[in-house]
Amino acid sequence: MVIGAGIAGIQAALDIANAGYEVVVVERLPSIGGHMLQLSETFPTLDCSQCILTPRTVEVGRHEKIKLYTYSEVESLEGEVGNFRVRIRRYPSYVNWDICTGCGVCQEKCPKRVISTDFERGIGKRKAIYTLSPQAVPNKPVIDPENCLYFTQGKCRVCERFCPVGAIDYNQKERIFEEEVGAVIVATGYELLPLTELGEYGAGTIPDVIDSLAFERLLSASGPTAGKILRPSDGKEPKVVVFVQCAGSRDPERHMPYCSKICCMYTAKHAMLYRHRVHDGQAIIFYIDIRSAGKGYEEFIHRAVTEDRVLYIRGKVARLYQEDGKVVVRGVDTLSGRQVEIAADLVVLAVAMVPRPETRALAEKLGLRLDEHGFLEEEDRNFAPLESGRPGIFLAGAGTGPKDIPETVSQASGAAGKVLSLFSQWG
Amino acid sequence: MARIGVFVCHCGFNIAGVVDVKRVVEEIKKLPDVAFAADYKYMCSEPGQNLIRQAIKEHKLDGVVVAACSPSMHEVTFRKAAASAGVNPYRTEIANIREQVSWPHQNYPEEATLKAIEVIRTIIEKVRYDESLIPLGIPVIKKALVIGGGIAGLTVALDIANAGYPVILVEKGEELGGKVRRLSGLYINFNAPDGFLEEKIKAVMEHPNVTVLTRSEVKEVGGYVGNFIVKVETPSGEKSFDVGAIVVATGFDLYPLQALGEYGGGRYPDVITALEFERMLKDGLKRPSDGKEVKSVAFVQCAGSRDPQRHRPYCSKICCMYIAKQASLFKQKVPDGQALVFYIDIRSQGKKYEEFVQRAIMDYGVLYIRGKVARVYEEGGRVFVRGVDTLSGRPVEAEVDLAVLANAVVASPGTEELAKRLRVATDAFGFFQEAHPKLRPVESLTAGVFIAGAAQFPKDIPETIAQASGAAAKVLGLFAQRELIQEPTVAYVVEELCSGCGLCIEACPYEARALHPWKGIATVNVALCQGCGACAVVCPNKASRVRNFTPLQYLAMVEEIAR
Repeated sequence: MVIGAGIAGIQAALDIANAGYEVVVVERLPSIGGHMLQLSETFPTLDCSQCILTPRTVEVGRHEKIKLYTYSEVESLEGEVGNFRVRIRRYPSYVNWDICTGCGVCQEKCPKRVISTDFERGIGKRKAIYTLSPQAVPNKPVIDPENCLYFTQGKCRVCERFCPVGAIDYNQKERIFEEEVGAVIVATGYELLPLTELGEYGAGTIPDVIDSLAFERLLSASGPTAGKILRPSDGKEPKVVVFVQCAGSRDPERHMPYCSKICCMYTAKHAMLYRHRVHDGQAIIFYIDIRSAGKGYEEFIHRAVTEDRVLYIRGKVARLYQEDGKVVVRGVDTLSGRQVEIAADLVVLAVAMVPRPETRALAEKLGLRLDEHGFLEEEDRNFAPLESGRPGIFLAGAGTGPKDIPETVSQASGAAGKVLSLFSQWG
Repeated sequence: MARIGVFVCHCGFNIAGVVDVKRVVEEIKKLPDVAFAADYKYMCSEPGQNLIRQAIKEHKLDGVVVAACSPSMHEVTFRKAAASAGVNPYRTEIANIREQVSWPHQNYPEEATLKAIEVIRTIIEKVRYDESLIPLGIPVIKKALVIGGGIAGLTVALDIANAGYPVILVEKGEELGGKVRRLSGLYINFNAPDGFLEEKIKAVMEHPNVTVLTRSEVKEVGGYVGNFIVKVETPSGEKSFDVGAIVVATGFDLYPLQALGEYGGGRYPDVITALEFERMLKDGLKRPSDGKEVKSVAFVQCAGSRDPQRHRPYCSKICCMYIAKQASLFKQKVPDGQALVFYIDIRSQGKKYEEFVQRAIMDYGVLYIRGKVARVYEEGGRVFVRGVDTLSGRPVEAEVDLAVLANAVVASPGTEELAKRLRVATDAFGFFQEAHPKLRPVESLTAGVFIAGAAQFPKDIPETIAQASGAAAKVLGLFAQRELIQEPTVAYVVEELCSGCGLCIEACPYEARALHPWKGIATVNVALCQGCGACAVVCPNKASRVRNFTPLQYLAMVEEIAR
């Protein structure tokens, strides 16, 4: 069983399934792909993220050895390595996925528009019946009962009326499935620290202060603005964008003491892509240290500075506030020792990576250890980075701590390797 | 008469934002043999693929053209979809109207639309003459070769051996354990690696599935995925092995002190590399020059790294952390000593790494100075380290007993030659090149050859171990196949036309060609052939051809463009 179907879970599942073993994949969201599907382009090659990922989501969706439980969570796990019994809770989607053809008529006709806080990070909208993206795997919609007019006001039933196959089922209940598995890979990934936690940066009240995933959606050709950089408050193209690194990271007094590892690189990418889209725009990055440790990474930063003329200022931003339609960024340039104040049109925060909130409850169910921040703990930091400490349960991806995509993929294959090694021994 | 279906993808706005997809469909529908044409927002999505499958059935299609992104993205997706509805996958082709049309011609929608139509028309011609092909099966030898006996190679070998397959582990040096053997304690817990390493080495040495060859080197590699023939030079003569997969785990080396003229170029006994300091941390902190106890140390980071003008442009990734560890260990042993670290940026990216560096500063009193060191020299038995403190803007000069350089991490010697023998690529700095920087980090571009550890790029121990298990997973995945599926779009020889001139044998970069022993004509080893077409180009008689890339097809395609 693989828990989590972001890039880590997808890679692990494919490696195991392609070796001929059956894999059960459990994903909390209605469809697979994780955060990588939200990204526009990836550093340092600027490959389109969706383009390189969707062949794999499609492969998972159609793989005869992979059984997908999306919109589901692990309820309990019993037994031991070689013989785990799992109960999986599937949330009601209010759509009978067995007969739904994924035609999309329900989403087209649904009259209720909702701001998509999860996938589009509050930048775009979706309907009350929705899929996460047009390329969703599986391409089956779910009804969000908190916003659906039928569930909230008892009337509407438009989706039911238009569904050509009669798949809408308002009475669907939660279901429990049972599976037997020999090994488990936990690939639950990360979340971003909510903006509301960052009081010094406006605590989420300034519309033109957004987090890095929201900026990814603005950059994405398939995002809500079709790749146009438009700021949330008035839909205008920002001419001065300030990127603030370590927003909540490396801050033991107020937030997270650790470094979130990937922000330096994606922020350089953000600034670069912004400069590609808005030629007369100015991109300014506040940083403490530039951490570009990886193949081609240092060279990538160099390119951002020299070719795309991104301005790097060494210093932490102390405060952000709104004034005259601008966001004022106040900080110190620690190289010159002087105060800096910049009136920006848009501010993008490289917010700290934190464990997914469900990780704690899951760790309890699986009997796994967590560190003080709630990340999954490895058996040994150096020598057993894939083992959880409980035999037969392995770890992959950002659930154990911030990681970039190649490291996550290597780890996912590594966890798959551990599982394959076990399975081969059993014959 | 062919019955071809054409499916035009919008790719969201990626294609449809530039190309008028509706007009493309209307134009394509008018062409002969096009039995069906349609557009859809994402052809690769489930409904998109269903559209293809349904159209194949309803319109009895026998060929499919998907006008979408590059074939390197979704060719497999669409071939599988078409096959599941009964169209031979090799009669399913991609017309690339994204990377070759909508992306490069973003500001010219009219011309882009015309070009998209043209590209699709040519691919229709190709499909018209495509043969229905069946993939080839090749047997797999279920034995692996692991090159390098460091922590990466040991991990790979054990993972594969534990799964029940034989492994040949080849190590150049006297003993197993690689660089880790030389380390005193590890970040982030200061634990010595010895116990773990000995255990791992013992497990490998005693494993019935592992053959360890030390003081040995791989001299020759022939064959192909599933069926490599490897010649290894061992102290007891040359040995030959048949293996199905190869993992390269040859590790790294340090940029030589001699190349760092500004830091003494290796002339000063008390200016040493970090690996030498590891040994001192184990054996005693005595100055190399006079054996006196070391009381003050200056650590110089980025010695040869992040220096595109003179040395290596890249960051060596592991130095910030091991320097913090060495400085902390030094202060543990010599509490009244002084430890200075010169750095450009502190790169403590990893679980608990930031906290580890903070502890070095707060708990152990290591002094960090931001600035690159310009010069290191010795005078009167003292070491002087000169640089600029970029935070205060003032020049600094430190007088210490010992300077420890964090030399750049470079590819281990012999990597280039080994890469040539394996027919895998290396990057600009001689590290092994992975198949894709994001999604295929443990594979090389040569099928059956995988990469683990610092041979690909500097890596620390946990990352190396995870990657090594990843490489093992790829090998185990390969060994789990009963036979390998080889693309049938390979070269073949029209025997009546071949004069046996041998030009194709020279031209083939994959050693897939040979002269038949008595027929006197060229032959193709289909398992080695990658379908590149070099043979077809050099053949003076047009006897060498590639399946589904025949002269007939390409002339028809060119004619279509010229129409």
